[in-house]
Amino acid sequence: MQSVRPGEIVLDAASRAFSVRADRGRTLKELVLRRAGSGPPPVRALDEVSLRIEPGETVGVVGRNGAGKSSTLKVLAGIIPLDAGTVTAGGNVVSLLELGAGFGRDFSGRENILMVGALHGLDRAQIEAVTPDIVAFSELGDFIEAPVKTYSSGMFVRLGFAIAAHLSADTLLIDEVLAVGDEAFQRKCEARIAEAVAGGATLVLVSHDAALVERTCERVVVLDGGRVQFDGPAPEGMAFYHRTMGTPVAV
Amino acid sequence: MAEYLRFRFLFEQMVRRELRQKYQGSLLGLAWYLVNPLVLMGAYYLMFGVVFDQTSEPDYPLFLMVGLIVWMFFSQSLLGAAPSLLDQGSLIRKARFPRESIPAAVVTVQMVTFCAVLVLVGAVTVAYRGTASPALLLLPFVLLALYVFALGLGLAVSVLHAYFRDVAPILGAILLPWFFLSPIFFRPERITEQPAARFVLEWVNPIAPFIEGVRAIIYGGSAPSLATLAYVVVAAGLALLVGRTLFARLQGELAVVV
Repeated sequence: MQSVRPGEIVLDAASRAFSVRADRGRTLKELVLRRAGSGPPPVRALDEVSLRIEPGETVGVVGRNGAGKSSTLKVLAGIIPLDAGTVTAGGNVVSLLELGAGFGRDFSGRENILMVGALHGLDRAQIEAVTPDIVAFSELGDFIEAPVKTYSSGMFVRLGFAIAAHLSADTLLIDEVLAVGDEAFQRKCEARIAEAVAGGATLVLVSHDAALVERTCERVVVLDGGRVQFDGPAPEGMAFYHRTMGTPVAV
Repeated sequence: MAEYLRFRFLFEQMVRRELRQKYQGSLLGLAWYLVNPLVLMGAYYLMFGVVFDQTSEPDYPLFLMVGLIVWMFFSQSLLGAAPSLLDQGSLIRKARFPRESIPAAVVTVQMVTFCAVLVLVGAVTVAYRGTASPALLLLPFVLLALYVFALGLGLAVSVLHAYFRDVAPILGAILLPWFFLSPIFFRPERITEQPAARFVLEWVNPIAPFIEGVRAIIYGGSAPSLATLAYVVVAAGLALLVGRTLFARLQGELAVVV
């Protein structure tokens, strides 16, 4: 495996296909009765994608639904393995694929901070060191001691983002999750991301929000059908994206 | 290995969470783990100790109880581990961590519960029958082997169930006859004279030596035979090897299948 610096990401001819079957679960009966060629062919979510992202870069990944954006992030996060090609991501990769992933509904906000930190490989001392910052950032106040099932969806999102934002990531992978909180909190999140980037973190952001991508990313990658259609500076990238999508550029 | 060390706090958190979810909101909590074997003990005692009066074991309820709780640990571990990866699908799809920690936490929680129940049952048995002996020092060793054995099989059934949803129902169907074939309410030498049948009941059934071992120490007040001790070590090692190998081979696609 080649060595990469913290925050550096290298995708080399990465390919990944998914079989699309209505029932994801396979039973023995299906296994026995399955005939070759039944059902639609596998979908190629990533088709020989090669990307090199330098530490500290801010990259927006855009494309129509099903273009392979989320799959790319899951591959970068190490959650889904590749069929072919290689992926290497250096340093501490923190992914926000879904805010509140791993939350136990019966547990308090504070307990869930411990759990999510543990999921990212931290120990108790490391997590407790950042817990006050997380609580302050989330603006939850006394609710931090209440079970998260009593939270509003906004509170849920705030806690989820606050935790991820304080895990000292070398690389932040964010999938379309910022659109949830209220506007004030969204701005706070963007400011926090900008802070992390200023501190040298790499950002990979998947979003349909063109304005957000233009605000936060210097580089844009346009995906379609699992292939890279465009890779370059954000202004040209977004122009290309709007052209291929047939959406007029908002003035 | 470094990966496991890095995530040992995660494992601790998962065990705590599992423990709390088990006992939260239930009035009797841990006591439920005693109720089930107690009810079974009563039923078998009535059946075999009173109605048919077939047994010649002294203090038959204690004989039953020791075997029952070992079996309950074993079966509950497998039945709990099988669906555990699917239950935690939201974690697996969204984060990267050693997936073994999920079934391992389930088996560990069963072990903690089992040990608590065993302390109760063991104390009563040893005190009532006067079986306190140096053999008790062997108990932690047999329990460790039992834990590793259940852990290995738990890893295997959990990852298999994630791919083939038939595994848990098949397991449920197998465990019932398996229970009746295990030396829980009988001793193999008392129900058959045939050497072949006895051999099957005592050695082919992999849980039998564990039951015999724990019972020899607590109920019998004597050390298990050397063959029994060797068997439990080999069985535990093999189970862990098979479980870990299967898990390592199949875990790559877990985020896709669960």
